[in-house]
Amino acid sequence: MAGSRTLSMAARVHAMLWGVFSLGGFISAFLLPVLIYINNIAYPLGLWPAGSTDPTSILVASRLSTLFIFVTVAGSLFHGVFRFMSTLPELGLRGAGEKLAAVGYAIAGTAIVMLIVYLLALNPGLLRLP
Amino acid sequence: MLRELTSFFIMVFSLLYIYQLSVLASRNAAAYNSYLGLLRNPVMILFSTIILAFCLYHSFTWFYLTGKVQPVKIGKRTTTPVMSLVVNTVLMAAVSYGVVQLFLLGGL
Repeated sequence: MAGSRTLSMAARVHAMLWGVFSLGGFISAFLLPVLIYINNIAYPLGLWPAGSTDPTSILVASRLSTLFIFVTVAGSLFHGVFRFMSTLPELGLRGAGEKLAAVGYAIAGTAIVMLIVYLLALNPGLLRLP
Repeated sequence: MLRELTSFFIMVFSLLYIYQLSVLASRNAAAYNSYLGLLRNPVMILFSTIILAFCLYHSFTWFYLTGKVQPVKIGKRTTTPVMSLVVNTVLMAAVSYGVVQLFLLGGL
Protein backbone atom coordinates (compact mmCIF):
# COMPACT_ATOMS: atom_id res chain seq x y z
CA MET A 1 0.00 0.00 0.00
CA ALA A 2 1.36 3.46 -0.87
CA GLY A 3 0.53 4.81 2.58
CA SER A 4 2.73 2.24 4.32
CA ARG A 5 5.76 3.23 2.21
CA THR A 6 5.65 6.90 3.00
CA LEU A 7 6.66 8.21 6.38
CA SER A 8 4.97 11.23 7.83
CA MET A 9 7.09 14.32 8.35
CA ALA A 10 6.85 13.84 12.12
CA ALA A 11 8.16 10.28 11.82
CA ARG A 12 11.08 11.43 9.67
CA VAL A 13 11.97 14.23 12.09
CA HIS A 14 11.73 11.77 14.97
CA ALA A 15 14.05 9.34 13.16
CA MET A 16 16.57 12.15 12.55
CA LEU A 17 16.41 13.18 16.20
CA TRP A 18 17.14 9.59 17.24
CA GLY A 19 20.15 9.63 14.92
CA VAL A 20 21.48 12.82 16.51
CA PHE A 21 20.73 11.32 19.94
CA SER A 22 22.82 8.27 19.05
CA LEU A 23 25.69 10.43 17.79
CA GLY A 24 25.46 12.52 20.96
CA GLY A 25 25.70 9.33 22.98
CA PHE A 26 29.00 8.42 21.35
CA ILE A 27 30.27 11.97 21.75
CA SER A 28 29.43 12.12 25.44
CA ALA A 29 30.85 8.61 25.97
CA PHE A 30 34.22 9.35 24.35
CA LEU A 31 34.81 13.08 24.78
CA LEU A 32 32.90 14.32 27.82
CA PRO A 33 34.78 12.52 30.64
CA VAL A 34 38.11 14.21 29.87
CA LEU A 35 36.47 17.66 29.72
CA ILE A 36 34.74 17.11 33.07
CA TYR A 37 37.94 15.84 34.64
CA ILE A 38 40.32 18.55 33.47
CA ASN A 39 37.95 21.50 33.96
CA ASN A 40 36.07 20.54 37.12
CA ILE A 41 38.43 18.23 39.02
CA ALA A 42 42.09 18.38 37.91
CA TYR A 43 42.36 22.16 37.61
CA PRO A 44 40.49 23.06 40.86
CA LEU A 45 42.49 20.47 42.81
CA GLY A 46 45.82 21.76 41.48
CA LEU A 47 46.48 18.55 39.52
CA TRP A 48 46.77 20.63 36.38
CA PRO A 49 50.37 20.76 35.14
CA ALA A 50 50.19 23.62 32.67
CA GLY A 51 50.80 26.60 34.92
CA SER A 52 48.11 28.92 36.15
CA THR A 53 45.99 29.24 32.99
CA ASP A 54 42.74 27.32 33.32
CA PRO A 55 42.00 24.61 30.73
CA THR A 56 38.98 26.36 29.20
CA SER A 57 40.97 29.52 28.46
CA ILE A 58 43.52 27.38 26.65
CA LEU A 59 40.87 25.41 24.76
CA VAL A 60 39.07 28.47 23.35
CA ALA A 61 42.30 29.93 21.97
CA SER A 62 42.51 27.72 18.89
CA ARG A 63 40.05 26.59 16.21
CA LEU A 64 40.45 22.85 16.57
CA SER A 65 40.04 22.84 20.32
CA THR A 66 37.08 25.22 20.02
CA LEU A 67 35.53 22.71 17.64
CA PHE A 68 36.23 20.06 20.27
CA ILE A 69 34.32 22.11 22.86
CA PHE A 70 31.38 22.68 20.52
CA VAL A 71 31.07 19.05 19.44
CA THR A 72 31.45 17.73 22.98
CA VAL A 73 29.11 20.15 24.74
CA ALA A 74 26.42 20.45 22.04
CA GLY A 75 26.38 16.71 21.35
CA SER A 76 26.26 15.82 25.04
CA LEU A 77 23.58 18.41 25.79
CA PHE A 78 21.28 17.19 23.03
CA HIS A 79 21.84 13.57 24.05
CA GLY A 80 21.15 14.35 27.70
CA VAL A 81 18.01 16.36 27.03
CA PHE A 82 16.61 13.84 24.52
CA ARG A 83 17.23 10.90 26.84
CA PHE A 84 15.90 12.71 29.91
CA MET A 85 12.75 13.79 28.10
CA SER A 86 12.23 10.23 26.85
CA THR A 87 12.40 9.05 30.47
CA LEU A 88 9.61 11.35 31.70
CA PRO A 89 6.78 8.87 30.96
CA GLU A 90 8.56 6.28 33.14
CA LEU A 91 8.57 8.81 35.96
CA GLY A 92 4.79 9.02 35.77
CA LEU A 93 4.79 12.32 33.91
CA ARG A 94 3.06 11.04 30.79
CA GLY A 95 0.49 13.84 30.78
CA ALA A 96 2.85 16.72 31.36
CA GLY A 97 5.58 14.88 29.45
CA GLU A 98 4.93 16.54 26.09
CA LYS A 99 4.96 20.04 27.57
CA LEU A 100 8.11 19.31 29.59
CA ALA A 101 9.72 17.81 26.48
CA ALA A 102 8.97 20.99 24.52
CA VAL A 103 10.51 23.07 27.32
CA GLY A 104 13.53 20.75 27.43
CA TYR A 105 14.16 20.98 23.68
CA ALA A 106 13.70 24.76 23.79
CA ILE A 107 16.31 25.00 26.54
CA ALA A 108 18.69 22.72 24.63
CA GLY A 109 18.22 24.65 21.39
CA THR A 110 18.73 28.00 23.07
CA ALA A 111 21.78 26.73 24.97
CA ILE A 112 23.40 25.42 21.78
CA VAL A 113 22.80 28.75 20.02
CA MET A 114 24.32 30.59 23.00
CA LEU A 115 27.26 28.16 22.95
CA ILE A 116 27.95 29.17 19.35
CA VAL A 117 27.61 32.86 20.24
CA TYR A 118 30.06 32.60 23.17
CA LEU A 119 32.61 30.56 21.20
CA LEU A 120 32.50 33.11 18.38
CA ALA A 121 32.85 35.95 20.91
CA LEU A 122 35.92 34.25 22.40
CA ASN A 123 37.48 33.55 19.02
CA PRO A 124 36.24 36.13 16.47
CA GLY A 125 38.45 34.77 13.70
CA LEU A 126 36.97 31.32 14.09
CA LEU A 127 35.03 31.27 10.81
CA ARG A 128 37.62 33.17 8.80
CA LEU A 129 39.32 31.12 6.12
CA PRO A 130 43.06 30.54 6.80
CA MET B 1 16.80 3.80 35.52
CA LEU B 2 20.36 4.57 36.61
CA ARG B 3 21.36 4.72 32.96
CA GLU B 4 18.63 7.25 32.29
CA LEU B 5 19.76 9.30 35.30
CA THR B 6 23.17 9.76 33.67
CA SER B 7 21.46 12.00 31.10
CA PHE B 8 20.45 14.45 33.85
CA PHE B 9 24.05 14.92 35.03
CA ILE B 10 25.33 15.19 31.45
CA MET B 11 22.72 17.92 30.86
CA VAL B 12 23.71 19.76 34.06
CA PHE B 13 27.42 19.73 33.24
CA SER B 14 26.80 20.92 29.68
CA LEU B 15 24.68 23.84 30.90
CA LEU B 16 27.24 24.72 33.61
CA TYR B 17 30.03 24.67 31.05
CA ILE B 18 28.08 26.93 28.70
CA TYR B 19 27.60 29.29 31.64
CA GLN B 20 31.36 29.19 32.29
CA LEU B 21 31.97 30.11 28.65
CA SER B 22 29.49 33.00 28.99
CA VAL B 23 31.42 34.37 31.97
CA LEU B 24 34.71 33.96 30.09
CA ALA B 25 33.24 35.68 27.02
CA SER B 26 32.12 38.65 29.14
CA ARG B 27 35.85 39.55 29.43
CA ASN B 28 35.27 40.32 33.11
CA ALA B 29 38.38 38.85 34.74
CA ALA B 30 37.03 39.30 38.28
CA ALA B 31 33.80 37.47 37.43
CA TYR B 32 35.69 34.63 35.72
CA ASN B 33 38.14 34.29 38.61
CA SER B 34 35.14 34.20 40.93
CA TYR B 35 33.66 31.32 38.90
CA LEU B 36 36.99 29.48 38.96
CA GLY B 37 36.94 29.98 42.74
CA LEU B 38 33.50 28.39 42.81
CA LEU B 39 34.92 25.39 40.95
CA ARG B 40 37.49 25.03 43.77
CA ASN B 41 34.74 24.85 46.39
CA PRO B 42 34.81 21.35 47.98
CA VAL B 43 31.05 20.94 47.46
CA MET B 44 31.47 21.77 43.78
CA ILE B 45 34.39 19.34 43.47
CA LEU B 46 32.26 16.64 45.11
CA PHE B 47 29.37 17.41 42.73
CA SER B 48 31.77 17.34 39.77
CA THR B 49 33.07 13.96 40.91
CA ILE B 50 29.49 12.67 41.00
CA ILE B 51 28.91 14.07 37.49
CA LEU B 52 32.10 12.36 36.27
CA ALA B 53 31.06 9.07 37.87
CA PHE B 54 27.67 9.18 36.13
CA CYS B 55 29.31 10.19 32.85
CA LEU B 56 31.71 7.25 33.04
CA TYR B 57 28.79 4.95 33.88
CA HIS B 58 27.09 6.24 30.73
CA SER B 59 30.27 5.58 28.75
CA PHE B 60 30.71 2.02 30.00
CA THR B 61 27.06 1.05 29.57
CA TRP B 62 26.99 2.69 26.13
CA PHE B 63 30.05 0.69 25.04
CA TYR B 64 28.57 -2.54 26.43
CA LEU B 65 25.20 -2.00 24.73
CA THR B 66 26.88 -1.10 21.45
CA GLY B 67 28.61 -4.48 21.58
CA LYS B 68 25.30 -6.16 22.30
CA VAL B 69 23.36 -4.43 19.52
CA GLN B 70 26.10 -4.49 16.89
CA PRO B 71 28.37 -7.50 17.30
CA VAL B 72 31.24 -7.63 14.80
CA LYS B 73 32.09 -10.84 13.01
CA ILE B 74 35.85 -11.43 12.79
CA GLY B 75 36.55 -14.58 10.82
CA LYS B 76 34.55 -17.35 12.45
CA ARG B 77 34.17 -15.53 15.77
CA THR B 78 31.78 -12.81 16.83
CA THR B 79 32.68 -10.09 19.31
CA THR B 80 30.98 -10.05 22.70
CA PRO B 81 29.66 -7.01 24.59
CA VAL B 82 32.57 -7.32 27.06
CA MET B 83 35.06 -7.12 24.18
CA SER B 84 33.29 -3.98 22.94
CA LEU B 85 33.47 -2.52 26.45
CA VAL B 86 37.20 -3.20 26.81
CA VAL B 87 38.18 -2.00 23.33
CA ASN B 88 36.09 1.16 23.52
CA THR B 89 37.30 1.97 27.03
CA VAL B 90 40.90 1.74 25.82
CA LEU B 91 39.92 3.93 22.87
CA MET B 92 38.31 6.45 25.20
CA ALA B 93 41.46 6.57 27.33
CA ALA B 94 43.55 7.10 24.19
CA VAL B 95 41.24 9.89 22.96
CA SER B 96 41.36 11.55 26.40
CA TYR B 97 45.16 11.39 26.41
CA GLY B 98 45.21 12.81 22.90
CA VAL B 99 42.93 15.70 23.87
CA VAL B 100 45.13 16.65 26.81
CA GLN B 101 48.38 16.31 24.86
CA LEU B 102 47.25 18.00 21.64
CA PHE B 103 44.95 20.73 22.81
CA LEU B 104 46.19 21.57 26.26
CA LEU B 105 49.82 20.68 26.69
CA GLY B 106 50.77 20.82 23.02
CA GLY B 107 48.90 24.07 22.39
CA LEU B 108 47.40 22.90 19.07
